[in-house]
Amino acid sequence: MSYMNKLSSAKNPYDIPGTDELFVRAMRENCQYQYDHCADYRRILDSFSFRPEDLKEYDDLAKLPFIPTLYFKHHSLFSMPPGKILTKATSSGTSGNKSIIGYNFLSLFRDLKMVLRLGFYHHLFSWRPTRYIVFGYEPHRSNQMGMTKTSYGQTLFAPAVSRDYALRYTKEGYKLDLENLKSKFVEFASGRIPVRTIGFPAYTYFLLRQMKEEGIRVKLPEGSMISLGGGWKQFYAEQVSKEDFYALAEEVLGIDDKHIVEFFSAVEHPVLYIDCRHHHFHVPVYARVIIRDVDTLEPVPPGTPGLVNLLTPMIDSVPILSIMTDDLGILHEESCGCGLDTPWLEILGRVGIKDIVTCAAGASEMLKGGEGR
Amino acid sequence: MILFNGEIINTKAINLEEKYIDSLYDRCVETLNQPVQITRGQVIGACDRLYHRVMAGEFNEYIWPLLTVADISYERFREMAELFSREELEYKCRVELGEWTEPLADLKCGISRRVCPLGILLHIAAGNVDGLPAYSVIEGLLAGNINILKLPAGDSGFSVKLLSELVKEEPALAEYIYVFDVPSTETATLRKLAEVADAVVVWGGDEAVNAARHLTDEKTKVIAWGHKLSFAYVTEAVTDEELYGLARHVCETNQVLCSSCQGIYVGTRSPEVVAQTGQRFFEQLKKANAACGKADPGMRGRNSIRIYNDLLEAEEGQTILNDEGVSVHIKSDSRLEISYLFRNVWVKGLPSENIITELKKHKGHLQSCALLCAEEERPLLAELLVKAGLVRITGADMSASESGGAHDGMYPLREYSRIVETGQ
Repeated sequence: MSYMNKLSSAKNPYDIPGTDELFVRAMRENCQYQYDHCADYRRILDSFSFRPEDLKEYDDLAKLPFIPTLYFKHHSLFSMPPGKILTKATSSGTSGNKSIIGYNFLSLFRDLKMVLRLGFYHHLFSWRPTRYIVFGYEPHRSNQMGMTKTSYGQTLFAPAVSRDYALRYTKEGYKLDLENLKSKFVEFASGRIPVRTIGFPAYTYFLLRQMKEEGIRVKLPEGSMISLGGGWKQFYAEQVSKEDFYALAEEVLGIDDKHIVEFFSAVEHPVLYIDCRHHHFHVPVYARVIIRDVDTLEPVPPGTPGLVNLLTPMIDSVPILSIMTDDLGILHEESCGCGLDTPWLEILGRVGIKDIVTCAAGASEMLKGGEGR
Repeated sequence: MILFNGEIINTKAINLEEKYIDSLYDRCVETLNQPVQITRGQVIGACDRLYHRVMAGEFNEYIWPLLTVADISYERFREMAELFSREELEYKCRVELGEWTEPLADLKCGISRRVCPLGILLHIAAGNVDGLPAYSVIEGLLAGNINILKLPAGDSGFSVKLLSELVKEEPALAEYIYVFDVPSTETATLRKLAEVADAVVVWGGDEAVNAARHLTDEKTKVIAWGHKLSFAYVTEAVTDEELYGLARHVCETNQVLCSSCQGIYVGTRSPEVVAQTGQRFFEQLKKANAACGKADPGMRGRNSIRIYNDLLEAEEGQTILNDEGVSVHIKSDSRLEISYLFRNVWVKGLPSENIITELKKHKGHLQSCALLCAEEERPLLAELLVKAGLVRITGADMSASESGGAHDGMYPLREYSRIVETGQ
């Protein structure tokens, strides 16, 4: 596992050119491990006549057969005996099924190093005690969602004075309670302890919009921050532009966009992407991104929209070294102007999320994704 | 935003809407107490006047953005608007109601009969075709009912606008049209609306229909316009021209309509014939795809991943032909299923003697079947398909709409009416 460990220890988390060779080696090492320890993965590679040793240079990464997240929703793949799996995480199951991914100690340790390194880089750590408002799930032993775990993890970036949750655990299961958070915002604004929000952008947005409609304006204490992560999920149709969101946060909570940070990650790809000051997700050294053509699944040039294929050698307990997400995105190579010259990933949205409703007789209405009659 | 008493009212806070809902039953009773009710002529007259204003471009400013969003051409919109014209509505009434439009002859024992509205209808509209919820209300009006409309989530406001303009054309309609914007999750409020109604008219999938059944008690009728499945049935005699016509239909509707072809049954026991037919259709599908222009990239991406995943899972008994964002899945079973949509069609064998056994299982979900075969095979196969539960046997263009056509084998205006018998 030497190359994988080496990669996770890289000093500069955005030194992409300097780590390309190491990345390929770590991928080959991981691929060999998965091939030897996971029968299902070996079957898949064999069916493509691909061997781990075929990963020789950077361009070979695109030839490595990827596994769609959909596959993990139907099959549990493990490359380690259950005893070595320390913790499991599930995806949110927006589309019905959940994938279950297990992590072993070494993988978690590498992930932790990554989070620390990136957290320092983006100045997310603070010694100042902080109040957390979590637009996500209150932790509970019945909840294995990766989102719940990462949002809890984020409340460790600065010492927590309090934690309040949008989705509270009750006897009848999780209940959405935005009213409570609204009163907390008002209460905390009059204090001096900084406030950090964490979690789903949709819930954050719904509450801010409601506060705006009700004429509630507060100014959160200095050092406060909004952090977003987890995607818009089923609220895809409600998604607003980043600019509109930032304007709303400034108006309602008095937080400017320099203090808004967004995270991107996935249960099947536990690499943390943190947006830069121009709100772009630069790819960190722990991962590489390949955008693929929607029809042929072949790689497309930078700047072209396509399916987002994410690669990382950081995890050894499951063969998630190259996964195909359900997202459409663009990999930008042009300079972003934030000081980082490495490529950045723009997520355009989920594939095929359009309201597909087939309906009703007659009419040759050609209503894209709509109902006809 | 709601429509109450012919006025558009902005109800941001839900409790304001509740107040209107609480007074609804008394208002409906008041309307029913009046000696004179609205006539079909008044409804058709109002629709026709509004139709002419629409055609003259009065609402273009309002309509253009909606058309752009829904990707509907202005020509297509004008065709749709025509459904509201006097000529079309009168024709619809003649076809659907037939002798019910005339005073009915007495029964031979001397009992007189007449056609009456059900009374009060709650329309639970679905989907994102602007104007469809309003059209459902107009059907209710044509049968003489008081109509309560629950708007679908994310409604653009077009239906409310349309119906309020209709009331301006005929003020007598004000107390026959109520529109509320209650979310589907507010079941308590919806139940209140359902309690007021004699029948609930629900549009949408099985889930929506089941939800509507839960809202109502035994005294309330549920009229469901649910989602349906359609497919093609072909024999070895099918020509390449016919397969191309079917492929055109698949590309033009992207398989999202109830009447869209999800897959092709081949009337044979031979797997070779099924495979050959699949291959022939695949060639035509690629041609039609090239002629129609590609489907939405997001949908193509979703399907490419699903097909790739199918290959990884190496499902037994399936061959996938896949190119340029379209695919044909040749399968060894005979199960009726929905396709991946957006130009991905399954092909399966189904010998004629198995038609009823296989399809009867899906009784309430069957709609159209394009029957493409030799002339002499046609009568027998059509009969089997009809017995299995299909309500439309069509040519290759399965979604072609004819004025006066039934809706899922039924006439809405009859569904919204009842026969009243009066003895001496």
